[in-house]
Parts: sequence; structure tokens; C-alpha cells
Amino acid sequence: MATINLVDLKKNYGPVPAVKGINLSVADGELIVLVGPSGCGKSTLLRMVAGLESVTSGRIEIGGRDVVRAEPAERDIAMVFQNYALYPHMSVRQNLEYGLKNRGTPREEIDRRVREAADILEIGPMLDRKPRQLSGGQRQRVAMGRAIVREPAAFLFDEPLSNLDAKLRVQMRVEIRKLQRRLKTTSLYVTHDQLEAMTLADRLVVMNGGLVEQIGTPVEVYDRPATLFVAGFIGSPPMNLISVEGLASAGQSLPLPRGTDIVGIRPDELTLDAPAGAHVALPGTVELLEPIGGESHLHVMLGNGQTVILSVPGRPDIAEGAAVTVHAEHAQMHPFSKETGRRTDAVANP
Amino acid sequence: MVENRPFLSFLTHLVLIAGVLIVVFPVYLAFVASTHADGEFLSGLVPLLPGPNLVENYWHMLTVGISTAGAPPLWIMLTNSLIIAICIAVGKIIISLLSAYAIVFFKFPFRLLAFWIIFITLMLPVEVRIIPTFKVVADLGLLNSYVGLTLPLIASATATFLFRQFFLTIPDELMEAARVDGAGPLKFFRDILLPLSRTNIAALFVILFIYGWVQYLWPLLVTTDSRYYTVVMGIKRLAATADGEPQWHLVMAAVMLAMLPPVLVVIFMQRLFVKGLVETEK
Repeated sequence: MATINLVDLKKNYGPVPAVKGINLSVADGELIVLVGPSGCGKSTLLRMVAGLESVTSGRIEIGGRDVVRAEPAERDIAMVFQNYALYPHMSVRQNLEYGLKNRGTPREEIDRRVREAADILEIGPMLDRKPRQLSGGQRQRVAMGRAIVREPAAFLFDEPLSNLDAKLRVQMRVEIRKLQRRLKTTSLYVTHDQLEAMTLADRLVVMNGGLVEQIGTPVEVYDRPATLFVAGFIGSPPMNLISVEGLASAGQSLPLPRGTDIVGIRPDELTLDAPAGAHVALPGTVELLEPIGGESHLHVMLGNGQTVILSVPGRPDIAEGAAVTVHAEHAQMHPFSKETGRRTDAVANP
Repeated sequence: MVENRPFLSFLTHLVLIAGVLIVVFPVYLAFVASTHADGEFLSGLVPLLPGPNLVENYWHMLTVGISTAGAPPLWIMLTNSLIIAICIAVGKIIISLLSAYAIVFFKFPFRLLAFWIIFITLMLPVEVRIIPTFKVVADLGLLNSYVGLTLPLIASATATFLFRQFFLTIPDELMEAARVDGAGPLKFFRDILLPLSRTNIAALFVILFIYGWVQYLWPLLVTTDSRYYTVVMGIKRLAATADGEPQWHLVMAAVMLAMLPPVLVVIFMQRLFVKGLVETEK
């Protein structure tokens, strides 16, 4: 149980900055997901918190204690690695016990914690097997077990699910969420999978190029992306970003904050039928229709040559090449400035 | 693979059997010779079937030896060889494990240079540097001692290189997990790296034991006291008699006994040996 504070944290690899000054406060028991494209510095950040990567400047506080100079083992954290990093020559039980033994935990205490973790993760029957005899999902459980038995101040997850197949990933994602709720351990979780990020996070930290783009709950980030990058990164299919000139050339004008030259509209906010409220209407032709089960994605090329994606319910009876008009309500539009990359109607969002 | 055709399998077996015969026949001859009585070979004909003197010859060789050749009883030489081979194998493994560990897992200045210097010594076998090495060992007063016999042979670039290659395959995350689990460098080495290297160590032990056992030139140079003779160099002395016929039946008994330990090591460690060469335990 602890808070984590990152204060102006920086990391350079030689002259190349990887993390360019991060400020983040994680509340006790909170699960924070760091999400971003590869190379955005999210893993480096996590490894700095773990103590596996040196800090160029800034402070890391875990439970109020500055740990920048502390060894990983002294930081009271537990880490779950992408490829599990189980010790191959040790049985599952020995894997769980190893960290505790190194700390000189009494035998009865070790046994109790291993038993508890095995119960929680349902790996009791596998305790005497070797990691190579386990499936991917089971190994992942053991890796989490190794974190749980330590009863640390914080869990650090480094893309723990990316080695699993899609089905197992969903299942383990749910389990991690339940587990974290139950143990109420402060957690930092790194992923590049936005679905994982959206479903797991109490708060989301979207990173790009070594900087934080936005911090907020998944709903906040989805509903009010603070920057163009976040708008394009969160959501699948991504938000449509239409230039204001494009709107104007279609004979549409709408009240926009000063400095707006791009508007973003979520694919599911675009409609083919005209909505009741104030809206814009953009003529175009259907380029591609992708049925994906309960809904379909409609790729429409607008008059200015830009393609937007609509997600529409069911399977609309539209042929590719047909002329359609795409409608978007004013209220659903996110105004951005191309120059600053930020929202132009931002009020309180940093 | 190749189809199963009777003629082909006959041919392949024929080739294999021929190969085995070529390799085994001299050994068989040595064995046969070691079982006959003195004087059987004076006629110039070597019998092809074993004779009746097996136990007698071997017992004589082990306990008495050929005193005229200035060699001690064979058991002393066998013991010497055993001590030296084990010292060399164990010493080489320890030193190369530690240097490979340093090179792979620690970042220090001139790390690569250190590795390349070790690697370059591969080009300098014992025979090339034998005179300076002898000088050093002699000046240190290590002639006629086990230290003198083993120490110059212990540094090993080959083993260091093999361990380095193996360590490079161990994922960094394993070391990081150990760090988070509170294992320092030595603990990581002992608890994780050593157990993982088990099969590699076994395979290298076999190779290095035999390397140590068959050392000929170096023991010949640094020993003048017959108490430190090794068996491989000893055989040479047994066969070299100034006048008169070498006692072939006894020499061959010594040869058979000298061959025995490496064969046993290979047989008993074969499983681990093969595993160590082909399998990475991960």
C-alpha cells in the first residue's frame, strides 16, 4: 500500500532523450496504465520506477520515500515481465519462494503466502512443476504469483499479456483487474494495446515521444482527447480528423473556437441520416464496406479527397462506389489546432 | 530424409562397419598384445586372439611397472594423470565461467577488448608459447609439482567463449527478475546461472578432462621426478628401452589402462554431454 510520485523524471541515453520530464502522482491502490506507441518511453519509465534503469534527473518516491538511489530489491516493488522471466530450473513453488527467501522471510510465513497466492491464482496443482511444463497462461499466473507473494508496495506490469494469444489475453486481463481490485495494490501497467489500457485503467497516461500527452480516466481520455495525438491513438477505428478547409469547401461552416484548423469526429458519431441538432453534411462516395459482425465500417471519400470512417450498426445495404452524405453534429466535434496539436476549447485539461 | 531402401541401408551399414573396424582394430591389437606372455612377439607375428596372461600383466604393470625404463608403477602415473586432468578441467571451467560472467553481465570499460584479448589467445596453443611458459614456471620453482603441471594449462579461451555464447542466450529479464527478487550478482550467479549452465559444464568437463588426460609435451618438460610422471608421457618411456626388445605385453597393458578413464568419462557422461551440446534449457 503506497503512493508513487514521479517528479520531473528524465532519462537520456547518451545525448538522446528517452523520457523528457514526467510528473505523475499515483494514489494508493490506483491502477495506472501507461499507454503509447513503441518507443514513446513508457517501458523506460516503468523500468526507472523498478530501478532497472538509471535516472538522469528527477525524483521517484514510493510510499513517500525517495528511491532513486535504491536497488530494485530495496524499493518494495514487484515486477511482472513480458516474457514472464520465470527461473527455468526451479519449480513453480521455488519460483514463488525465491524472492522471499532472499529477504530472509521465516519459513512458515513463506509457506502461508505461497499457499494464499496459489489459491488466488488457482495454481495449487502446478506448484511442483517446472515452468516449461506450463502453458503460456499458466506461466503468466505464476509470474503474477511471484509478484503477489512479495506483498509489495506496488506492482509494475511490463506488457504482461503481449505474449498470450488473443482469447487468453482477454481472460487474463479480466483476472488482473479483479486481482488488483481485490488486493488494492498500487499498480503501474505498461501496454501498447489500447483496449487493455481502456479496460484496466483507473487512470490512463498517454505517452508520446517521451512526454505525457494526457492523464485522465479512460472515459475522459476517450471523450475529451487533449491533443491530436491522443485523438488519433485512442479509439478503434481512430477518430476522423478533418481539416476545417475541407468542411468549408463542402460549403459547411460552424462555430469553432479561435485557432481551430482540424476537427475530430469519432467514427460512431458520424451518421448517414441527418441528425436532429445542428450539424454539418459532407457529400462523398463509399470506398469500402467492412462488415465486422454487429457493426460495419464504412470508408467514405469526401469531396476534398480525404477519407473518413463511419462505424454504423448492422450491415447497411450500400454498394461500394455509391454516393452518400455523411452527417456530424456540431456538439460531437473536437476542435484542434494543427500548430500546437492541442484542443482549442480546452479549459482545465493540462 | 532418405527413403528406406534395403540396398542403401546395407551400404550405409557397410561404410559404418568399415569405419568402426578401422578405428577399433589397433585398439583390439593392443588389447590382444597385453594378454600374452613375454616373448610372444619375438617371432615377429602378432597373435589375433587373446592369450592367458591378462591378469598377470595388468597386475604387474599396476603395482611394479618396468623398473628398467625408469618409470614408477602404473598406479602412481594413473593417479597423477587423474589429479592433473581433474584439476585442469575444474580449473578451466571455474575460470571461464567467471570470466564469461564478467564479460556478459557487467558493463565495464574495455569489456570488449578484454574479450578479444582472451579470444586471441586461442591462436597461441601450449606448444607455441612453451619455451617462455617453461621459463616462467621454472623461475617460479614450480617444476616437478602439480601446480606447475596444471596452472599453465588452465586458462581457456575456448571454454570462456562457449560460456559467453551460452550466457548471451539468457534473457536480460531473468537477471532483472532476480534483481527485483533481491539477488545480488553473486547470488544470481550461484542460484540461477550455475544451475542453468549445468549441461554445458558437463559437456565441457568431458572435453577438458580428456584434454588434460592426453597432455604429453608439457608434462614431459616440467617433470624430471618420476613421482610426477603422467601416464601418457610414461608410456613413451616404457617403450624406449636402450637395448633389447621393449616388453610389448606390458607396454600394451599400460596403454589399455591409460585409455580406460577417458572412455569411462565419456560413457558415463555421454547423456549429459550430448544434451549440453545440443540443448539449451529454457
